[in-house]
Amino acid sequence: MKLALTVCENRISPLFDCARMLLIVDIVDRTSTGRHFEVLHYESPFSRAAKLSDLGVKVLICGAVSDQFANIIETYGIKIVPFVAGAVDDVIDAYLTGGLYNAKFRMPGC
Amino acid sequence: MKKDKLYQIPDHVTDVILESISDGVFTVDHEWRITSFNHAAEEITGIPRDEAIGKHCREVFRSNMCETDCALRRTMNEGKPFVDTSTYIVNSEKRRIPVAVSTSLLKDENGIVLGGVETFRDMSLVEELRKKLDARYQVGDMVSRSPSMHRIFTILPQVAESDSTVLIQGETGTGKELLSRAIHELSPRRGKPFITINCGAFPDTLLESELFGYKAGAFTNATKDKPGHFAVAEGGTILLDEIGDLSAAFQVRLLRVLQDRTFQPLGGTKPVKADVRVIVASNKDLSKLVKSETFRQDLFYRINVVRLDLPPLRDRKEDIPMLVKHFISRLNRLRGRSVTGISQKGLALLLSHDYPGNIRELENIVEHAFVLCPNGQIESHCLPDNLRVLLRGPTTHAKIDAALQSVEVQVIMDALKRNKYNRLATARDLGIHKSTLFRKIKILGIELPKLDGRTQQKRAR
Repeated sequence: MKLALTVCENRISPLFDCARMLLIVDIVDRTSTGRHFEVLHYESPFSRAAKLSDLGVKVLICGAVSDQFANIIETYGIKIVPFVAGAVDDVIDAYLTGGLYNAKFRMPGC
Repeated sequence: MKKDKLYQIPDHVTDVILESISDGVFTVDHEWRITSFNHAAEEITGIPRDEAIGKHCREVFRSNMCETDCALRRTMNEGKPFVDTSTYIVNSEKRRIPVAVSTSLLKDENGIVLGGVETFRDMSLVEELRKKLDARYQVGDMVSRSPSMHRIFTILPQVAESDSTVLIQGETGTGKELLSRAIHELSPRRGKPFITINCGAFPDTLLESELFGYKAGAFTNATKDKPGHFAVAEGGTILLDEIGDLSAAFQVRLLRVLQDRTFQPLGGTKPVKADVRVIVASNKDLSKLVKSETFRQDLFYRINVVRLDLPPLRDRKEDIPMLVKHFISRLNRLRGRSVTGISQKGLALLLSHDYPGNIRELENIVEHAFVLCPNGQIESHCLPDNLRVLLRGPTTHAKIDAALQSVEVQVIMDALKRNKYNRLATARDLGIHKSTLFRKIKILGIELPKLDGRTQQKRAR
């Protein structure tokens, strides 16, 4: 399974709509087996959703995301875990161990 | 000493002021952690102060500038303030909130930089009003600033509400189907089917079965009932396009349907009631066809209840820039492109063309340009060859400028005439400042009559 996270300076990007870097994590049996970065050049919701789909992403972890982006990504069958904040490695560990819904990974007010 | 006392404001007063203003204000330290967050900031972002304090500012503010072009970071790096930068933030309901941001350094009484301060104003209302203003120039998928189209837009809600038969006349490609669809969408029949049929595309017998359907056994191979367009459009609207191409025999049949509001499927024995709003369209002038006796007068009067005449694009060239912008924005959405606009030279070429195919032709030209210029601006070399003829030859630039100027002169002259040479009203009509209008009149050498709108008004008094 492929997990994608929008990253900025080793933390989850504040806003998906204009995030520039995507970290793709390969997960097998709740273990990370590899990771690589992808640059996000595209601006439109359709292009971003299509890129995620082409990369085979099943789950997207991101910071804030506006509904025009979220709705289109979800129509591609990609699950979004929005409004996540924190250091990228901590967030991946929390996702793998089921602890991502802990309040410390939530953006303020979310 | 007395003077110093007069100007000494207690600390808590600053807090009271910050809490009472409608602009959001927050401050950050050198680690970008939020150190204060006023009441308006809570209101605009929807984030309680106690959740915001101590957090990284970009995880609280969440604007489209945070990652790549943070105004506060620029202020901290360059030591200078930035005022009213437009951006948007995204709240916890995934809603974009347009804001105007100003930033400055936060210093103590000794001038030591403590961090930064950011103020932001909710621009949702301004944005909403801007959209409403834009909507004045848009109905459905049709956009126009021209007065002739604006007159149609103004009466369209009443026309839509009325349920009367509408006759739309206009050259091919002027948007007859779009206008019909807009009428349907504004009418109480919206949500019900909108069916279009091109009457000129079928011979009589086929048109009859297409419009009214047939019963099983009506003819060879008619093994089961087939509903016609009138039945499919039940409760909705049907557009009979190119009605001027109907044969004389079919005109009689259609007249009967419009009079009785019933139709009879082929092979059927009972008339079927039709609850369908009929819109008819033609690229020919039906009154002329009546005079030449190729169109029945009684059918003309039956369909000519409300008539809307769509002007050709060459008579409203002032719409071209707006239409191009509209098509670019739509194609960007559909194709996932990021074309930003069209160059001035490209626009000049578009303005110098006569558009026999009207708006459809312009749309095709923009689509052609999208193939060749997928990103950035549409340049003149991306436009079709027939337009680029102007580019050939040594006097190209002069030709384009001349074309652009002649269109400008025409548009300004038309507007002046419409507004009885009142320059202020003309400037308003054209959506430009009066001083811009005066400058253009001077530069373009437009000659005005000695009487202007104001003197005429004064005389009338």
